[in-house]
Amino acid sequence: MSQNEFAPWNDSAAKPLIQFQNVTKQFGDFTAVDDLSIDIYEQEFFALLGPSGCGKTTMMRMLAGFEKPTGGTILLDGKDISPIPPNKRSVNMMFQSYALFPHLTVYDNIAFGLKRSDMPRDQIDDRVNKMLKLVQIEKFANRKPEQISGGQRQRVALARALAKAPKLLLLDEPLSALDKKLRQDTQFELMDIQEKTGTTFVIVTHDQEEAMTVASRVAVMNFGKLIQVDTPTQIYEAPNSAYVADFIGDVNIIEGNATKDGDKVSIAWAEGQPEIVGTPSQPVGEGRVSFIIRPEKITISSDKPTDRRNAVQGKVLDIAYLGNLSTYHVEMPNGIVIKAQAANQRRRDSLPFTWEDPVWLSWSDTAGVVLEG
Amino acid sequence: MNWRRIALISVPYFWLLGLFLVPFFIVLKISLSDIALAIPPYTPTLELSEGWSGLRDLVAQLDFENFAFLADDDLYWKSYLSSVQIAFISTFICLLIGFPIAYGMANAPTEWQPTLMLLVILPFWTSFLIRVYSLIGLLSQEGMINQFLMWIGIINEPLMILNTNWAVYIGIVYTYCPFMILPIYATLIKLDASLLEAAEDLGCSRTEAFWRITIPLSKAGIIAGCFLVFIPALGEFVIPSLLGGSGTLMIGKVLFEEFFANRDWPVASAVAVILLLILIIPIVMYQRNEQKMMEADT
Repeated sequence: MSQNEFAPWNDSAAKPLIQFQNVTKQFGDFTAVDDLSIDIYEQEFFALLGPSGCGKTTMMRMLAGFEKPTGGTILLDGKDISPIPPNKRSVNMMFQSYALFPHLTVYDNIAFGLKRSDMPRDQIDDRVNKMLKLVQIEKFANRKPEQISGGQRQRVALARALAKAPKLLLLDEPLSALDKKLRQDTQFELMDIQEKTGTTFVIVTHDQEEAMTVASRVAVMNFGKLIQVDTPTQIYEAPNSAYVADFIGDVNIIEGNATKDGDKVSIAWAEGQPEIVGTPSQPVGEGRVSFIIRPEKITISSDKPTDRRNAVQGKVLDIAYLGNLSTYHVEMPNGIVIKAQAANQRRRDSLPFTWEDPVWLSWSDTAGVVLEG
Repeated sequence: MNWRRIALISVPYFWLLGLFLVPFFIVLKISLSDIALAIPPYTPTLELSEGWSGLRDLVAQLDFENFAFLADDDLYWKSYLSSVQIAFISTFICLLIGFPIAYGMANAPTEWQPTLMLLVILPFWTSFLIRVYSLIGLLSQEGMINQFLMWIGIINEPLMILNTNWAVYIGIVYTYCPFMILPIYATLIKLDASLLEAAEDLGCSRTEAFWRITIPLSKAGIIAGCFLVFIPALGEFVIPSLLGGSGTLMIGKVLFEEFFANRDWPVASAVAVILLLILIIPIVMYQRNEQKMMEADT
């Protein structure tokens, strides 16, 4: 990684803005967050990603102050925040439902938090106008929330949460109410605003694409635990578990028995098939392993390639045409189906393969991930 | 012309005409008549057999004498004023009691809410009259409240509650509180809890969030509840005549006495017409509020 890249988590001297220290949260018998520790740094765009019920929303609500941890401490700027009520924290939240006050105008919604602070009146007006401009809703300042569209409401909610210039902004599924196209545009806008304001953002989402797009780091959660915390690239290219690999994007998971072969391993995965050669990023023992490879790392061809370490033959079972890409489901002789993706560089009428075609799948020995178990 | 449409729209208009306008004009006519020792006890009466000229004679004999009489005798305007005062104070007390109850209901666990709702409506399952009578049993000098207070030693002599305005207030508040609770509950239950969290998140204390968010957003329910209590309380006669004393002045009671004790139908009708005029203002305001609520919902 280059020197000037934003990666305070690799810098041992950097002081985290937020520290979760062995935080546990229980609701009755149910453990929503389980002995979880994590550091989040200033100016990060941090995504909490996981299926519903994984504890990500609970973590956010603990940061906002709506829930108190059952065990452990949460530090903000080195100070324990659990005794501080939500209204005294320098943390603001953008709610999933936006929670705009229906009896107030857009302007008054944004000014609401400022009026509760000790900011002088004339500065409030400046600040609100700045916020309106930041999210480009100046035209709607005097409308009520019911008189504007969903996308505009989302902007008002963002402006309202940013108005007090919090140290930390929490975004609870901020884009889930928008349609796909608008969501994608807004994702980039969010990143832009985050960069402009320099605020630390923590976003909760179940949409992996959204997390990958906006975040500097992604924490994948399940059952109240962190499975992996890393940059989007690392999460995608070097998942530390089959769960993460499967949760993010499309993946082939092939199980087999490994034998060491220098710094590589050979994986026997099917009778009568050549062993898969892979490079484990962390040393794995001999025995049961999972070989994980993304469909787009696999090349599909009609002739046996000579320059690739791994090549297997099968026949095309299914083709998922996605427009820009096609995913081929290729059945191996032993019944295992491997997915391979190819960009559609030519028009559809000239798709290179069709159903039942015998094809070769090939990949290099560093294309996949080898995980124990 | 779309006859089906006209037929459909005409139903409520016939209802209004038959059950409100016609009776109102009869009362108005009586209020302009003179008292008489006859059946019915006023004159003139309409002789249908005389046709047009009969009607013209009738109109010629009508006058505003009774209204002038109401203005002369200070009993009446004092009663109106006292009624407005009692209705106003009762409404306010109902709001003070009803809002916390509605708030508690709306914030109670969901599985309790139907039961709480039932408890609010439950008193309607017994006759209004019987409930007022049972209040007599509670409030009288030998009643349970006095006995209890004397037993625990707070008072040595029974309090005079029954036959005073206190009893009237207790009766009206007790009877009409559900009308305050239900509309407020209906607005509070629709209140999105995340709005309060957002308010807190933006720097409000719990109390401040209550005044800045909960109260403004339940305003429509509060207004509806206030009118639903104020309007019937203003014309109330059962409660003041059963629980109130000789000092209790309420126009409903006066009206009742004019009709049935004095058998002065024309004066009683004039009292009723004025009462209606007084009530038109809050009724129109109530309708406006309802309309606003409906618009806010859509």
